[in-house]
Amino acid sequence: MTEAATKRAPASPGARGLREAVTSAVGNGSLWQAVQAARLLLEADSGAGTLRFLSRLVQGTPQTKLALREVRVGLLSSFSIEFARDALVALGLASGLRIEIYQAPFGSFRQEILDSASGLYAFAPHAVVLAVESGAWLPMDAPQGASADALLAEVASLAAKFRARSSAALLCHNIPLPRWPAPTVAVDAPSLDDLSFVTACNAGLRMLAAESADFYVVDYAALVNRVGHDRWFDDRMRLYARAPVAQANYAVLAREYVKFARGLVGLTRKCLVVDLDNTLWGGILGEDGIDGVRLGADYPGSAFVEFQHFLARLQARGVILAIASKNNPGDVEQMFSQHPFMVLKAESFSSRQVGWQPKSESLMAIARDLNIGLEHIVFVDDSTFECEHVREALPEVTVIQLPAEPADYVSAISRDGWFDALSLSSEDRRRGELYKQRDLAESIRSTASNLEDFYRQLGMEITIAPVNDASRKRTAQLTQKTNQFNVTTRRYTEAEIERIQSDPLWTVCTVAVRDKFGDNGIVGVILAVERGDALEIDTLLLSCRVIGRTVETAMLACLCDVARRRGCSKIVGSILPTDKNAPVRDLFRRHGFQDRGSNATSAGAWELALSRGAIAYPPWFRLEISEVLTPASNEGQHRSVQR
Amino acid sequence: MSSADDITERVRGVMADLFQVDRAAVGLESSRETIPDWDSANHLTLVLALEEDFGVTFDVGEIETMLSLQDIVAVLLGKT
Repeated sequence: MTEAATKRAPASPGARGLREAVTSAVGNGSLWQAVQAARLLLEADSGAGTLRFLSRLVQGTPQTKLALREVRVGLLSSFSIEFARDALVALGLASGLRIEIYQAPFGSFRQEILDSASGLYAFAPHAVVLAVESGAWLPMDAPQGASADALLAEVASLAAKFRARSSAALLCHNIPLPRWPAPTVAVDAPSLDDLSFVTACNAGLRMLAAESADFYVVDYAALVNRVGHDRWFDDRMRLYARAPVAQANYAVLAREYVKFARGLVGLTRKCLVVDLDNTLWGGILGEDGIDGVRLGADYPGSAFVEFQHFLARLQARGVILAIASKNNPGDVEQMFSQHPFMVLKAESFSSRQVGWQPKSESLMAIARDLNIGLEHIVFVDDSTFECEHVREALPEVTVIQLPAEPADYVSAISRDGWFDALSLSSEDRRRGELYKQRDLAESIRSTASNLEDFYRQLGMEITIAPVNDASRKRTAQLTQKTNQFNVTTRRYTEAEIERIQSDPLWTVCTVAVRDKFGDNGIVGVILAVERGDALEIDTLLLSCRVIGRTVETAMLACLCDVARRRGCSKIVGSILPTDKNAPVRDLFRRHGFQDRGSNATSAGAWELALSRGAIAYPPWFRLEISEVLTPASNEGQHRSVQR
Repeated sequence: MSSADDITERVRGVMADLFQVDRAAVGLESSRETIPDWDSANHLTLVLALEEDFGVTFDVGEIETMLSLQDIVAVLLGKT
């Protein structure tokens, strides 16, 4: 199944019914039903008519009617990119996003960035795509085989000017290999070698991304490579209409942008839940037995081995794996422990729901177990019945029905890039392991006779420190994806964090927690700003994996110290309610803040006067608090207290 | 491939889809003057959608004459 060649069947009866389903879900304001119906429609028909239909539907539906997450995207290009607009909005809907587009006339990308009064900046984008062909980066009269350095210097200079004016993420296309490379037989003339030029440019762009905050490379070369040059480009339209990309591929390009948009608003999926029979192996374990299922060196068993390797790589990248299967638990245990070709182990899965309960119940149990939202789960099954059942019962879950051909499983899951994160922190790579530690902590909790004993048994050590170069990426990432224990759910990019950090009125710090099961890494963020005699909590968030361990009390204690150090007399905060943040709603109340009775969502709705007594660190923590976060009286001594 | 009537109906379907109007609203004389959404960018989108749908390729000369439903059908008939 190739994405560009999806056959267009305008207004086929199936597609018509699916269109009605989207319209009706949107009409009812049912967010996830609408998102899912849009996804099904696009799977059935992704032609220009469908894209136009979905795009108009989103544009005609006010935000108040359908609570899509807004992402404002600026499109800067050296070619006509308007043909990607419908696809971008339509695919955004299928991801739960309302994508608003600002499009500059093609070829004006330099002016838009250099002119601080340009339409681009007035639009206040969250992300800006820089879809510039290699020829447009370099002057027309550049010598053939111009050096990659010249191109990279040009990109870096423009990116720096952009960064000075906007904290939006910058998504820069890399460069595809030329379709007809110049003859390269003269191996002693590397400067004339198109291939070396492209390779050097793309390596340089990666370096630039690694060194710059919120600069990302759109791997355009990989898209062209996957679809193939001959099918990607349309030379006739390139010359006639400055539209070099064949029509059907604009949707492929838009899908790439949507991955970034999802990452920016924290909708990157976190967990992949798989079925077992005809998913991890061919056949039915309960009927065919361990010796009968297909898994091994020869087709079709080889396809399942390859699929398991693919899942293992996803896990290594930080995707949590889980199982929802209707099977006898004993058979499954045996399969994992005895089958010689099983790549994944039982322990590879952070939650295993094997039994005869409906899959929707298994999925809810997994979400509970892992403490993640259903909208962060992708569910994969070969059965039409199970897929339909989950779509119906849990519309928030992203459902992928596997194709009949097991060799196509990897493509079916990779295509939409649901797990493609903006960046991988070391926490991501260890996430599966961290969730396993949490499970152990849960089991201690059930045996500890009371909560305080539990906290003491955990042997927690908390480290609070100002954000530094090493932790900035993780800090931004936490603001982007933490939904539950987050008082204001304000999202920040790395560039924005860096900016407020340089303002002396701001306190910007991270919270890391270790316990006897291991190092959880950075799990919390505090952003606070001094306003007059008040220290205002802008952001206070905690990863769900350490909720319920009084870490938040320690964070508020730290803020009391910071307030004193700054000479503030009170701390103020507010809760901006969202669908997700119920766990944080009573934070201020239970820590003795006074409700000022003003509008509950206004800044500083909750207030703690320090004269009434500050909040103390809970005694079960071992503290490692950076001295700049301690009261002035303690200055000079690193506070490291075992209490 | 098929009769003029079949082709007309298929093109009408693609146009209705793309310009988000009722099929009944697309007549043989419908043109860039009568359909507000039929601007130059949408013209290319239409032409490329037709290429995909009919499995044909138009040259630029043809693209520039395909300015009404009738004209489009005439070009397609010449290709089948």
